[in-house]
Amino acid sequence: MRRTSTRSVIYGWLRVFAVIATLLAAPLARCQSTSADQDPSTDTTADSAYETIRPVPIFSAGVAYNSFFDGGVDNVHPLVSPVTLIPFGQNWLIESRETFEINLAPVPGESGYHGALQKEVDYLQLDYIANSHMTVTVGRFLTPFGVFNERLYPVWIRDLQTDPLILPIATGPSGAGTGAMVRGGFDLTSKVEINYATYFSTLSTDTPLDSERMAGMRAGIFLTGPRLEFGGSFQHLLQGDRSNAFGFHAAWQPRSLPLDLRAEYARADTGSGYWVESAYKLSQIPVWRDELRHVQVVGRMQQYFTGVVPDDDLPAVNTRLFEFGLNYYFYDDLRIVSSYGRQFAPEGGNMNIWNVGLTYRFVLPIGHGDIQ
Amino acid sequence: MSRRSPILWLVIAASGICGAASAAHGQQGDNAVQQPAMVPASVPASAPAASDSNVGTAGATASPAPAPASATRSAGTAHASSAASPAVRERESLLIEGEKRFGTNCGRCHQSPHHFPPRMMATVVRHMRVRATITDEDMRLILLYMTQ
Repeated sequence: MRRTSTRSVIYGWLRVFAVIATLLAAPLARCQSTSADQDPSTDTTADSAYETIRPVPIFSAGVAYNSFFDGGVDNVHPLVSPVTLIPFGQNWLIESRETFEINLAPVPGESGYHGALQKEVDYLQLDYIANSHMTVTVGRFLTPFGVFNERLYPVWIRDLQTDPLILPIATGPSGAGTGAMVRGGFDLTSKVEINYATYFSTLSTDTPLDSERMAGMRAGIFLTGPRLEFGGSFQHLLQGDRSNAFGFHAAWQPRSLPLDLRAEYARADTGSGYWVESAYKLSQIPVWRDELRHVQVVGRMQQYFTGVVPDDDLPAVNTRLFEFGLNYYFYDDLRIVSSYGRQFAPEGGNMNIWNVGLTYRFVLPIGHGDIQ
Repeated sequence: MSRRSPILWLVIAASGICGAASAAHGQQGDNAVQQPAMVPASVPASAPAASDSNVGTAGATASPAPAPASATRSAGTAHASSAASPAVRERESLLIEGEKRFGTNCGRCHQSPHHFPPRMMATVVRHMRVRATITDEDMRLILLYMTQ
């Protein structure tokens, strides 16, 4: 059994490398011609900045201290999420993010709060920027299914500290895959950008590097004029019931308002659902401008429907959740967050969910960074 | 846990000092009002590229906030800029385009611009190129804008 497992893993990795080699060959050859085709007069200065500034390794971390009150039960949730970025050469980057968090809750019959430290390697990947339209990634990466997992998950970015109900759908056991990914973006026209990501992940049962054997892709269209993005995701599980999952995402930032509108839909055998979120910064209110421009009002509605295959990470019953948040930004990296949510679910699942917390992010150079 | 906590808080405190220093170095509290508009001195405020540039997150263009100092300055020095060399004008147009790309791409998730040292910014932009699948042209223009 052990030998078979090892062999299958080796074969899996060989396939990964074969795919990478195939994908690299054509674009690298094409890169020679595209670079020669570019008009040197268009972005000479930008190229100069890119090529003369030597990037320095960076250490960053997001820190959060949240208090949740779920149905009257108090939970304290400290979290530290360090990020390391190590660039080398003109086209290479090693990046990693880990998460250390504890959910401290009172235990009946005991004093104080108790909880176990949870550790996750969110991503640990090697990126190679093959050409202007494609980056090849190997290692452990965030599953590009929808946009929340990749772009909005960090505690210092997300507008509400609670996860969307559908987040575990098709993102794997810890929101990550282990294998290879090809991704990138290009301009279709001057007003339309296309972005894509396609990946293969192999099975890993080693905590905290666990992942599922799966393959999938995501593609999106971004209209730079109205600042509207929409796209879709597809994933095929290559283990177990070999089921499919798909989803859609959309985001809009109207130019005339400090408003973010985002939505996602996901469907799989484990369940389906959607969330719609809006976040409005009060910078246009004509009174108390100095204070109100730091304030953000958030609203989110979401609904989850159970599937035919149970999943421990998803709600056991159909659930609706409405949340309202109020955030105060001291500056981009430091803010106070708060929210109230009302959950509607059968079998005693109705409850209020309160949250008050603090999020912070810092960035430090590793080595010699130039000081402006 | 109790033995780790002091170390953790020391790290947080030290980083807080760095963060505060970085904030004092050019951090803006809110991009819709205080984002540094990189409208070069030689470009009139009514230039198409400037009016089309979405400064940071939405709201900047329609906000009744007072005109940024650089925009005011640009109107005053528009005459002097007419003598600028083509290379300077091209560079300024690239900066405006970089500002536009910054607002369009980075403002979708981030609240306000960071002004890290150039070598840090080069790393951040490379990271965000992979993370946010921004195009190569976007990356170069944003780096140019953010390092000026």
